[in-house]
Amino acid sequence: MNMIKIVVPGDLLDDKPVHIEHAIIENDKTYATVLGSYDEEKKRLVPLEGLWYPVQGDIIIGIVDEEKLNSYSVNLNAPYKGIIVSKFVETQLQNGDVVEATVKEVDKTGTAVLVRSRKLFGGKIIKAKPSKVPRIIGKQDTMLRQLSDGTKATIKVGRNGIIWMKGGDVALATEAILRIQEEAHTPGLTDRIKEMLSGNNKV
Amino acid sequence: MTNGAITGEFIKELLSKGAREFGRGFNDYRRVVLSTGVIPHAEGSAECFIGNTRVLVGVKLAVSEPLPDKPHEGDIRTAAEMLPLASPDYEPGPPSPESIELARVVDRGIRAAGMIDTKSLFIEEGKVWSVFIDIYVLNFDGNLFDACTLAGVAALLDCRMPAYKDGKEDHENTVGKLKVTGMVTSSTFAKIGDKIVLDPDATEEKNAMDARVTVATDENLIRAMQKGGRGAFTAEEMDRIIQLTFEKSKDLRKIVKEAVGE
Amino acid sequence: MGGENKPELIVNGKRLDGRMPDELRPIRIMTNVIKNADGSAYIEWGDNKIICGVYGPKEALPKHTGNPERAVVKCRYQMAPFSSLEDHGRTGPNRRAHEISKVTKEVFENAILLEQFPGNAIEIYIEVLQSDGGTRAAGITCAAVALATSGIPMRDVPFAVSVGKVGNTLILDMNKIEDNYSDADVPICISPRTGEILLLQMDGNITREEFSTIVAMIKKAGEKIGKIQRDALKAPYEAISERYKR
Repeated sequence: MNMIKIVVPGDLLDDKPVHIEHAIIENDKTYATVLGSYDEEKKRLVPLEGLWYPVQGDIIIGIVDEEKLNSYSVNLNAPYKGIIVSKFVETQLQNGDVVEATVKEVDKTGTAVLVRSRKLFGGKIIKAKPSKVPRIIGKQDTMLRQLSDGTKATIKVGRNGIIWMKGGDVALATEAILRIQEEAHTPGLTDRIKEMLSGNNKV
Repeated sequence: MTNGAITGEFIKELLSKGAREFGRGFNDYRRVVLSTGVIPHAEGSAECFIGNTRVLVGVKLAVSEPLPDKPHEGDIRTAAEMLPLASPDYEPGPPSPESIELARVVDRGIRAAGMIDTKSLFIEEGKVWSVFIDIYVLNFDGNLFDACTLAGVAALLDCRMPAYKDGKEDHENTVGKLKVTGMVTSSTFAKIGDKIVLDPDATEEKNAMDARVTVATDENLIRAMQKGGRGAFTAEEMDRIIQLTFEKSKDLRKIVKEAVGE
Repeated sequence: MGGENKPELIVNGKRLDGRMPDELRPIRIMTNVIKNADGSAYIEWGDNKIICGVYGPKEALPKHTGNPERAVVKCRYQMAPFSSLEDHGRTGPNRRAHEISKVTKEVFENAILLEQFPGNAIEIYIEVLQSDGGTRAAGITCAAVALATSGIPMRDVPFAVSVGKVGNTLILDMNKIEDNYSDADVPICISPRTGEILLLQMDGNITREEFSTIVAMIKKAGEKIGKIQRDALKAPYEAISERYKR
């Protein structure tokens, strides 16, 4: 009994109008709009590829790309901009600064209003596919913990797919993350990554 | 992504410890994969991967009128397109200075090594062959020069001659192969701080590289060189680079020979 | 159309390459072929070889090119100078390529849920590496798959194919020789879910009745093409669930 199936844009999900995220209703029928895995029982469609849609509470990593009068604009590597209101910032920010922040809300224009922002100093950032972020973090953070333990690096994964790393063996961590991304849908990945990290525990 | 600064610092820090991303040594190539005959409609074609860099070269021959000052010689015309699908940084539009430089450097190596004897491209009074070498960059991950030279050379070695009939070429019928002698390969080095690394990837080129140099050689001689970027090389550094290029050319020549089935 | 030394395109009911009038050439699609792109696909359709990359949605720059209501689609179709079995082509898009880029863009302006990304641009690049007739249709079919792999939400995965006319016979999916000597060429792109026509061009001469037959032929071919598109999209994931079952 497999209630989960892979669907593509245009596939009929329900012949009644049902409100499902990433679906549209036309002529009282419900259709998928993305390549995704669809749980018929729970009526839930999870995209398999692509974009990040900001949701309240998401922790993101972004790069300040414009200083405005009362705010900073943040590049989130997404179709949406982030905005940090200056008065909520402890340290002054500059163009190019990397920040970690939380999405407070998404305004009408699609801009993510960011709070609890914190500047990240030094380190390295890489860009992962947002759809692979859950796998990079793992169930109850297992994969992420394994990555930091195995490389002794501080790793922060933004829901938007930007990952910041510092200290330890960042090169190895990069390699491991790229591999998780490539092999995200294969079983036994946690064990393979564990093996990969254990052989190279140098700092 | 607009984040050159911290990634550049990270790469420099790694190099200062004698290390490079993905466990690569300073003088290591990424995986090089070369194959020929990928576009049967072209007279010659080859595809080259260096790591995630992917380029395609197609060669076409056409009958044309000779240049007035060289009435008994054919010509080689090389063009490169950095396709906008190959990188978020590439834009559609007329050829960029970078793509013109790329085409010219590949062209110079092939010409200087005398791979094609332009006199052999003479057909009859007022008719010569033009050899069109078109470079297509399909995915950019650094070091286009070496990838395009490899693919360009392999595509020439793959190239068949169209038949000639009534002043026109006949592409559906071929008569043997294009006459090619020798083989040029190139190695590209990036200077990052005071370190020099072979085969820079896109992260290194975009965020950390101060200068770049490409050296094209055949078996015994240097045939073309091109330095790029704001930084500089010392004469001693160049000497070492040239030595390394000759060493690496042995492996690269082997890869080309295997790809063309020699 | 037509020509001096017109070859016999249909002999004993069969075409020059052995196909029946309503038969497609073999089609193969691969996804995620360009690492840097947000979505990509490669199609081999007969002797056509086409690669397609998608970038975005990303901020439309310069800003005045954006639309505050919805995303804008930018599309470029281009043929490689070495793609044809004939002469070396001119580098860069010509008038024909500009026209194809425009009508292709309009297909995807319909298919993509643009309202979700105001101020953004979605870029579609279609590069014909080898051509043998029907490249616009194959390019659209490939671009639709590339878009789906990028996660950009769409109403549907459109497909396209052309029907031509030779004498009184309608033939599906013309190759280059057929295209050169046919009496009509009708490329059509359809949204398979709704059956709506998203691209329609025509050149030559056909009757009203023939047009209806052409649409029916294209819709029927769409069942096959659609399955190839869907299988290509699902393949990477279904292979894995198969492994889980064991």
